[in-house]
Parts: sequence; C-alpha cells; structure tokens
Amino acid sequence: MNAGKNEPKKEVHAMRNDYLWDRSGESDPEIQRLEALLERFQSHRPRPAFPEVAPAMGWWIMLRRLRWVLALAAVGAVAAVCVITVLVHERKPGRDASAGWDVSALEGTPRVGRKAVSEKEGESRLGVGQTLETGPQARAKLRDEEIGQIDVEPGTRLRLLNTGSGLKRIALDRGTIHTFIWAPPGQFVVDTPSAMAVDLGCAYTLKVDDTGAGLVRTSLGWVGFKLHGHESFIPAGAACLTRPKVGPGTPYFEDASSEFRSALTRFDFEDTIPEQRVADLGIVLAQARPRDALTLWHLLSRVDEPQRAQVYNRLVKFVPLPSGVSEAGILRLDQPMLDRWWNDLGFDDISVWRYWERSWSGGAPRANAK
Amino acid sequence: MGSSLEEGFEMLTAGLGGQPVRERLELSEDARLVGAARDGDRAAFGRLYDRHARMVHGILLAKAPIAAVDDLVQDVFVLALRRLSTLREVGSFGAWLAAIARNLARDHYRRSAPEEQLTVDVPQEEIELRASSGDQNASAHLVLDAIKSLPDAYREPLILRLVEGMTGPEIARRTGLTPGSVRVNLHRGMQQLRAILSPSPERPGLEGAES
Repeated sequence: MNAGKNEPKKEVHAMRNDYLWDRSGESDPEIQRLEALLERFQSHRPRPAFPEVAPAMGWWIMLRRLRWVLALAAVGAVAAVCVITVLVHERKPGRDASAGWDVSALEGTPRVGRKAVSEKEGESRLGVGQTLETGPQARAKLRDEEIGQIDVEPGTRLRLLNTGSGLKRIALDRGTIHTFIWAPPGQFVVDTPSAMAVDLGCAYTLKVDDTGAGLVRTSLGWVGFKLHGHESFIPAGAACLTRPKVGPGTPYFEDASSEFRSALTRFDFEDTIPEQRVADLGIVLAQARPRDALTLWHLLSRVDEPQRAQVYNRLVKFVPLPSGVSEAGILRLDQPMLDRWWNDLGFDDISVWRYWERSWSGGAPRANAK
Repeated sequence: MGSSLEEGFEMLTAGLGGQPVRERLELSEDARLVGAARDGDRAAFGRLYDRHARMVHGILLAKAPIAAVDDLVQDVFVLALRRLSTLREVGSFGAWLAAIARNLARDHYRRSAPEEQLTVDVPQEEIELRASSGDQNASAHLVLDAIKSLPDAYREPLILRLVEGMTGPEIARRTGLTPGSVRVNLHRGMQQLRAILSPSPERPGLEGAES
C-alpha cells in the first residue's frame, strides 16, 4: 500500500495525458496499441427491428380507463400506509440495516448498537444510523462491495450516516480506522469532530482522540481534509493534524525533520505570540526540501500577509510558476492561479477536488456528537 | 492538467446556466428523440439506438460474458422502449439507459453464473499459451480479462474508451457522470491496467501484444 516517492508524479503525468481523455495532444503508443487490439470486441450487429409501441396515452383517457384500478389502488395505499405507520412506530427511528455495511469481528467482540459481533457468528450488518464500537480489546472489519473496506482498531466508535447512491458517509467519533476505498474519488466521506475527510482515491488511516483532535495519514491516492472553508490536501506519504474549532492543519511529509514538524504544529495550533509564529515559520522555510512544496503551498493562504512573500520566495525556488500565473496573483491568493501552481507541484490534479466541491459542497461536518 | 481546458469548460459553463454547450445540445437532441419515440415514432427510437448502442454495449461488456453481450444490448433497448413513458427526465435518457444496462447485466450474472463457469470454451492456460505465441485474439482476450479484473468504477470507462472508442467527454455526456469522475477513473484505471499488463511470468505475451 505504500506508494513510492515518485508515485504522485507518475499520477500527475497520467492525469495530463490528454490522449487518454480526448485523443488530443501527443498520442500514447501503448493506448493506441490497446485500442487496436480491443476494437475487435465492438459490436457489428445491425440495428434490431424494434416492436411497435403505442403512443403514450393522454392522462384523461388513462384515468377513465383505469378508474376502478385506481380506486382499488387507493384503498390498498391507505392500508399500506397504516401498516407502515404501525411498523415504523415499533422501531427506533433512523435505523436501517438493509442499507449498510457488512461487519465482521477481527478480534474480540465489537458491538453494533447493543448487539455483539462475534467471530463465530460470522458477518453482521451496520445499518444507517447505527453505531459500531470496538472497545479496548476488539477489532472489526467493515466492507461494502460498492464502496470499500475499513479496518477498525480497538477503542473506536463510528456511526454510519449514509450509504447507497450519492455521498457515502460515516462519522468517526473516536478511535482509528484504516480505509481502502474503491468507490470513485469524492464519494466516501468521514466526518470527525474537527474536520471532514474526503477520499480522493484509495487508502488512508484516520485517528481521532478523545478531545476530538485527529490525524490523517495517506498511503495511496490522496485525501481532502475540510472544515468549512479551511481545506488541506494530503497525498500519499503525507499526514495532516486537525483540531476542534481550528480544523485541518498544514499537511507535511512524514519524513520531514522533527524541527520542521514541531514548528509547523506550533504554527498551526498553538496560541503563541506573533514573534513566535514568525520564528516557527522561519524554521519551516529554512528546513523545507523540494518535496515540502506541499507544505509551503498550503502555507501561502495561512500566513499573515507580511510573511506571504517569504513563503512565495521559498516555494518558487522549488517549483517555478507555470505560465499564466504571476507573483502578484499568488500574493493576493488568486484561487485559479493557486490551483494551477498546485497542479505543477506533482501531487495530483486539484480539479478533482474542485469538481467534488461543486458536486457535494454544503456538507459541513456535524457538530461534535459525542 | 490543461488549465486552458479547465478555463474553457468554466467559460462555457458560466455562460449557459451550468452546462457546457455540447452537452446541452446532446441532451436536447436526446429529449427531442425521446419525445418523438414516446409518440410512437420508431425511427426516432432507432436514432436513440444509434446514439447510445456503443455505450450500452461497453457497459454490458464490462459486466457480462462476451457471448451474451449482443443479445443483452437488444434486451436493454427493448426494455427501454417499453418503459419509455416512465422516464421523467427526458434529457437523462443516457444515464437512464446506462442504469438499465447495469441492472440487466447484474441480473444476467445472477441467473447464469453457475452454468457459464461450467461451459468455458477454452481453458485460461491455453489462452495464455496462445497469447505468448503471438495470437492476437488470445492477447485481446487477456487484456479484456485484465480490464474486467479492475474495480467497477474503472472497468466501465476503460472499456468505453479502449473498446468502444468513445472519448472521455463523450463517456461523461452519454452516461450522465461528471467529466471529473470519468477522467479520474480513466486515469486511475489505466494506471492499474498498465501495472497488470507489465511483463510478468504469470501473464506472458501481453506486453508484446500488437494489433
């Protein structure tokens, strides 16, 4: 699951391969070879003769013809409503085990609600609205054929908020999960007390402690971490902390020096005097390697205005500005220009995230529900 | 990725109430043909078939055995014709058709999986042997199998692109998926496919496959 150091660059190279997308740009011989090899599977069957179908009837004709059927249907519907009402009142609201994830015990006895999940009894279900708790000794596995797989560590409490078509969503109140997601990027979301983690492809570990603080560590693909307008992108090999009320911190590669990481954590989360913030930023900039362009790009929009030029000057040494992007634009935090610069850092294409925001924005993480 | 492409998309989107020009034209053409077909115009339904048959064929090929696909394509369109009056969003004909195709493929798999496992014409080992000796047909089957071994989300766009010859934007327009998700799935799927097809003792012959 560990991506190599060059993995994100490879991926960006692939994303820019316009031949695969729309056959524009330089042709890719391997794709052309596959196209030529596979075209034999195209259908050459002629268009079939379709049967006659009567035009759709006018509503009033249909209603006249079906008046007795409709009357019976109405009676049936009233009866059905009564039965459903009785059934719903007998059940606790918000629990739907038919739409859910398969749960199995990996160790000990995890619980779905009050029901124990044991290794002997095999798989159980975590329905929408239900809670899975592992306790101090238990581990569990969640699996959905359409979405992916989640390994749940001891001491974890999570709830299934939504599944099926559209956004698939769980809430991690505390504990640790390892996710491996095969749903398309942007469809699987984990709410934590301090940020929302959006899967943008594949595998990551997410931890939440009892204070609601969190840590995401990406091993494959990348993850978006978001609280209201505050967002961080964490590619493979990188990690990001999050704190209640503050939201996601600045992502960093885990092989950065300990001074770099400590200074970054203080800068992001500690309520220090301005001089200390400037000093911490100085440590981060001084210790940054080309790979830490990830961190510097995020810092552009997090530092105070007087320090932004310092961050810019360091970052531009590692990654030149792409055409159409200016220093002035970056310093005034022009979003399209920042996005274009991000795309040149070699991690992943930010348009994936922007599409996600357009499609699903408005889903702010829920309030702390512990 | 091409920022100019992004800009172009944005400009078109901004100017036309949220949809790019080509997509709007395609959807309105679908809506017109669906309206005519609902009124009993079989030629209009034939046009819908011509426009969407490749997509349906690709979706089915991604999920069903090759031998069953042509018949299933016909089943999808016959079912769609019968249910056309139930389609609420006439502009979503493509997405609706894609959903029918996926359901039919799933039903077919449920109904016939056991028999099909018993009636494989050529053993896998023989296919691999033929591929390694330069048999293009066998190589093609091995590549198709490799695509079909990928996760659902990658399998479908790759088959639509590599087998059916559709472009990414066309796949998005026809299936009703967002261009972003099609693009990402195409590239991620292609990455995984390249990894599978890279030379290995278990899969001889694939890397040298020529058309």
